[in-house]
Amino acid sequence: MSKIVAMAAKDIRILFRDKLGFFFTVFFPLMMAIFFGAMFANLSRGPANIPVALVDEDRTAGSERFVTRLEAAGGLELEQLPREQALEQVRRGQTAVMVTLSPGFGAAMDNPFQTTPRVELAVDPTQFAAAGMTRGILLEVAGAELQALMTDSARIQATNDRNRRLIEQFTPPSAARDDFLTFIELSSRVSTLVEQLGLDGNATGAVAGGFGPPLEIGQTEVQAEQRGPTNSYASSFPQAMLWVLIGGSVSFSMSIAIERSRGTLMRLLVSPITTRHLLAAKGLACLTTTLVTSTALITLGVTVFGVKPTSYPLLALALLCASICFCGIMMALSVIGKTEQAAAGVGWGLALPFSMLGGGMVPLFLMPEWMQLLGNISPMKWTLVAYEGAIWRGFTLTEMLAPCAVLVGIGVVAFAIGARNLRWHTG
Amino acid sequence: MLLFDHVSKSFGDLRAVDDLSFELEAGEVFGLLGPNGAGKTTAINMAVGLLEPDEGVVRFAGETFDRDPREAENRQALGLAPQSIALYEEISSADNLRFFGRLHGLKGPDLEERVSACLDFADLTDVRKKSVSKYSGGMKRRLNLAVAIVHDPDLVLLDEPTVGVDPQSRNAIFDRVEQLRDDGKQIVYTTHYMEEAQRLCDRVAIMDRGRLMALDTVRALIEAHGGPGKLAVQTGDKESIHDTTDPLGTLAQLQERETVEHFQYRPPDLETVFLNLTGRALRD
Ligand SMILES: Nc1ncnc2c1ncn2[C@@H]1O[C@H](COP(=O)(O)OP(=O)(O)O)[C@@H](O)[C@H]1O
Ligand SMILES: [Mg+2]
Repeated sequence: MSKIVAMAAKDIRILFRDKLGFFFTVFFPLMMAIFFGAMFANLSRGPANIPVALVDEDRTAGSERFVTRLEAAGGLELEQLPREQALEQVRRGQTAVMVTLSPGFGAAMDNPFQTTPRVELAVDPTQFAAAGMTRGILLEVAGAELQALMTDSARIQATNDRNRRLIEQFTPPSAARDDFLTFIELSSRVSTLVEQLGLDGNATGAVAGGFGPPLEIGQTEVQAEQRGPTNSYASSFPQAMLWVLIGGSVSFSMSIAIERSRGTLMRLLVSPITTRHLLAAKGLACLTTTLVTSTALITLGVTVFGVKPTSYPLLALALLCASICFCGIMMALSVIGKTEQAAAGVGWGLALPFSMLGGGMVPLFLMPEWMQLLGNISPMKWTLVAYEGAIWRGFTLTEMLAPCAVLVGIGVVAFAIGARNLRWHTG
Repeated sequence: MLLFDHVSKSFGDLRAVDDLSFELEAGEVFGLLGPNGAGKTTAINMAVGLLEPDEGVVRFAGETFDRDPREAENRQALGLAPQSIALYEEISSADNLRFFGRLHGLKGPDLEERVSACLDFADLTDVRKKSVSKYSGGMKRRLNLAVAIVHDPDLVLLDEPTVGVDPQSRNAIFDRVEQLRDDGKQIVYTTHYMEEAQRLCDRVAIMDRGRLMALDTVRALIEAHGGPGKLAVQTGDKESIHDTTDPLGTLAQLQERETVEHFQYRPPDLETVFLNLTGRALRD
């Protein structure tokens, strides 16, 4: 055992002396994490951009006026859609909130004394922040609409005339009826009175506020099937940790090729250790390096970049399984690439397309469906599924077992292929 | 100590080692002499368990030669200095020695003692902390040799230890081989330089194209296969070369006829032995 540890320690030491290996195993992934995290942070976190699917089922002048005002208010990225389509978008996580204006909304907007206008929200429960902001903007716009109504003498006069006619027509004369007619009469003069008192717009708003909340908001929850991470670093760090594995496996497969071409592999095989010990040592060195580097990386993500893994035990499991997978791949690579250059060429030549497919370059949830399907052959994909499962997808243990089993399976098969075909000479 | 019994090894159609048999005797330096491609390295690789013979057996140690070098623990008793330098260039000579010492089960003060003894042996104590990549070719050669003996093996196999080394470093390596022999090690020494075999080896096995051509002490080989020596004589402005086994007699005969101004006698050597055995020169 101490011989295995001595060999593994030597490998790790040499890796960290090798500037290129160190770069690809440690620095490159770190840069990826920060670069892509920051990039997507800017792309997706613009403060004025909550995607909202708007369903206008009223289609009156009143509802259209409200929509125009909502668009002008900013803060929301409105898309008018039919009901089914809007709901689908929320389910897919493409839209944070769906806002429905039911029939009668415009009429209620025009006559706030009769019924408070009402909108319906459908949101994914994880998007509570977006929902909250949407509510705020809706209330603000409704308030402004009410305020406009109060200060638009012509419109309020028309409404008051209609209300007076209705009351006179259907209610028998009484003191209460007279009082109410006086109230309607006075309310038509609010704007004139405000003007005479020399008050500003805020006062009109206060008057309008006297009628109670300008808008009632109903909310239902729609469970999104697939949601994106809440923090863009939560998706860039799993990718960076994947690159730790890729860099580590290529570096170690190169280290075997280097030992072969330098003749030290021959020396190892002549010493009184078995081939099995030698392979165990290589695997241990690779595993230790990838585990330590990945752990350091995610620790940085948690402490500095606000990544909040949903489960630390599952993350540890995912890390271990993915490391096993890539250390197995490392063995297989070292057999294909006999020389240092060949090992590097084979390693990076396979790493790039497979990680492209597996979501190592562009986050999986942004890729078209056919590509996500094809990505199933990529160990990088399963690594990301496992990492993301533990970091932001909130996997259960059962959900985690599938990617972990695939990863360990690939690792064991690749290691066996590599171990069987290990040769000490290049010929 | 080491036994080859009708050992053959082929690579594809090429018979790299063909029916090779020999047995090392106690305390000797055993030479494997042959041109490039003779099969020396292949034989060494079978001796240390890197290659498995196609036919025959390789065994070492013990009265009955029952240990197979293919089994890991049996290799504790042997040390190999490979033909091409095999070292970790990124780390220092001391760390190389330490690492290979650990691989052979050394630890603690025993390890440190062996490491400094080997640094001394290789004359690298002053540069023990420098990384090997900064060493000269001769220094690397000496370290390559020292690493083979860090665990104090009984049998040391040196595969062309002087290739690509300047004459001064070459002499230094000869000294070290003699030192090892004096320490009681058994040594297998391969070379394609006949002077080295002649100077260092007690017995020499001459190999060509995988086959063992002759095996004996240097003197016996020359007696058996050396043939006549060469006597070069200058008389006036005429020079002549005479093959002879009795240079003094031949010289006396010549002097009866004319005045010999200069003469030079070259006795038969391993080079001539090889030429007579194979019909070809040892050197390409
Ligand atoms: N691994 C190998 N694969 C194929 N041919 C080899 C291999 N090793 C050696 N040979 C061939 O076997 C012959 C003997 O080689 P080698 O034992 O290295 O000779 P030497 O050490 O005496 O120069 C050579 O012709 C060489 O090309
Ligand atoms: Mg050779």
